[in-house]
Amino acid sequence: MDNAGLDSILKKARIREPAADFWATLPHRVTGQLQSYRAPQNERAGRPGPSFFTRWAWALATAAGVVIALAAVHWNAPKNAPDVLASAKLIDETLAMFPHRVRAIVEDEHGLSLELSEHGNVPDSAPLYVRICDGAHCMSAVTFSGQQVQLAGQQWTVLADGRGGIILEGSQLLWSSAEPINADNHLKIEARNLGPATM
Amino acid sequence: MGGADEETNLVQRSRKGDHAAFELLIAAHQRMIYSIAYRMSGSLADAEDLTQETFLRAYQQLDSYRGESKFTTWLGRIAVNLCLNWRAREGRRSGIHFRWAQDAITAPDERDAFPDELSRRVQAALQRLPAPQRAAIVLTLYENQSHAEAARALNCSEATISWRVFAARQKLKRWLKDPSHG
Repeated sequence: MDNAGLDSILKKARIREPAADFWATLPHRVTGQLQSYRAPQNERAGRPGPSFFTRWAWALATAAGVVIALAAVHWNAPKNAPDVLASAKLIDETLAMFPHRVRAIVEDEHGLSLELSEHGNVPDSAPLYVRICDGAHCMSAVTFSGQQVQLAGQQWTVLADGRGGIILEGSQLLWSSAEPINADNHLKIEARNLGPATM
Repeated sequence: MGGADEETNLVQRSRKGDHAAFELLIAAHQRMIYSIAYRMSGSLADAEDLTQETFLRAYQQLDSYRGESKFTTWLGRIAVNLCLNWRAREGRRSGIHFRWAQDAITAPDERDAFPDELSRRVQAALQRLPAPQRAAIVLTLYENQSHAEAARALNCSEATISWRVFAARQKLKRWLKDPSHG
């Protein structure tokens, strides 16, 4: 039996009909019970429903409350909470989208931003994670050996040292993961090699 | 009933508490709703109750009807979902749902009450389907809804509807092909 044959059989089938007076009396039986149900808004106790302005004001207040709550969570989040850049998936997908063009993925208080080379000349290398905190303000970046990133008010050249370590050369500071001593006490620096490039 | 404009007018009047307008809407759509309810429940008594309950719920939810779909589609959605919940509730309460369905199929009084043997066999076959598959067949075949419309009514994906219709058809073909079934 094919679908057309089945449909023909199904559509020929008739349903059992209710008693003859069912159709005549149903509408009035339904409306007769409506008193026990919530009436549409404009009928409720004779009061008009909330005006458009009132509904808009409530919606705006709710939205403002949500924004305030999100901001509170953001500012109160622990400073050592794992950041988005630690996600290998994010890095892999970004590199796949822009092969040999990603100079850095930077995260700061404004969110994520992407720094791309115009010429597709970023060589394959292991992604390097760098995080610099200047007091309460932190910025992170995933970049590659030889690239430059602007973090905490300084331009840094990021280098892999061939032994899995990282060197950061700033305009005012030289930092190495092998000897992570902060010459400048107000900066806290963290860096690690994230492994083989996935490009 | 006249065209869509008249129906829209009746819906707006019903929202404002005009019971006479709502009765006209009921009169226009009661047979369609009853048909859904009967095919879903297989019971005349349940179908009558479900039809009444559908319109009561529809009145309660009139404010949520935005006109994005046809009024009949919106009503059908309420009806089908009521039927699905009704079935689950009745099955839990009585615990003899399947046995009752079997008895209804073979009881002489029930058999005589069907318009004809084909109708009885088709309804028996529909009752054997899982409720979600039955709902998909009722909406797409009997109410001529697209898979997309049925998916919205049943709050699932279009792919799920397509699968349910396919699975239901396979079973119905098997059951209705062999006269000894049902």
